[in-house]
Amino acid sequence: MTQIRRLVLDVLKPREPEMIEFTEEISEMECVDGINSSLIEVDEKVRNVKVTVEGEIDEQKIRDKIEDIGASIHSIDEVAAGEKLVEESKTLQD
Amino acid sequence: MILEKFRELKKTWNKDEVKSISRRYFISNGFDGTLTAVGITVGSYLSGVSTGATVFKVAAGAAVGLATSGVWSVWEIEKAEKLAQLHDLEENMLKELEGTEIHQIKKQGRVVNAVASGAGPVLGVLLTASPFLLEGILLNMFQSTAASVLMAVGLLFGFGVYMADISEQNWLKAGLRMGLAGLVVAALNILLPG
Repeated sequence: MTQIRRLVLDVLKPREPEMIEFTEEISEMECVDGINSSLIEVDEKVRNVKVTVEGEIDEQKIRDKIEDIGASIHSIDEVAAGEKLVEESKTLQD
Repeated sequence: MILEKFRELKKTWNKDEVKSISRRYFISNGFDGTLTAVGITVGSYLSGVSTGATVFKVAAGAAVGLATSGVWSVWEIEKAEKLAQLHDLEENMLKELEGTEIHQIKKQGRVVNAVASGAGPVLGVLLTASPFLLEGILLNMFQSTAASVLMAVGLLFGFGVYMADISEQNWLKAGLRMGLAGLVVAALNILLPG
């Protein structure tokens, strides 16, 4: 099985924990080398967040962690896997 | 294990909502406890109770009652409140949150709230009644009663200063406003018939 290097997730999280705490908690995971959380949409009680994680990613562990925090994954928006990290390439439509 | 639990509770305490609710219960029940103790100590002196130990034992009994009430009522109130919040959040998240970290934090928050609610009256009653432990050693019954009222006023003043500090009010005014309550209860006990 090839190694997932990057995952971009569309996540719905409760207002608490705050963005910093939420991001720190995921960053402390062994399979995560780095993380970026960007706020997409703010609602009174929930937040829609784009989460980008890089490292030797264990998708199930990431999923479990996010669920355990009380958030849920709406969709997996980008996956990069294999020996090296490949960026999305531009097409004429972009 | 105990250290881990303590760390978790500390983390919970640092949540703004938990801290603010705990503070409210602590001060409110501490205020109740202090004024109850003033009623007991002044009432005991006026009724002719002859030993300081008796007054302290009666006050300790009141502390047990008020602390139990504080812990029990807040335990039940916060259970209902926090479950309602969780259900509300579940509706927004479109998923069950039982067993998640957010559920755990709410449960721990309830423990912290209940402890703060029980600690307030224990502190208020026992500190106010503490001069009676010196009756027969350093103080007589009248001096113990006067020292007890002064202790209560000082404690209430401290509550006022603390609240002024977190709300950026004038600490002297807030302290005096709170401290005045101790004197009012003592005066009412003296003025009321019987």
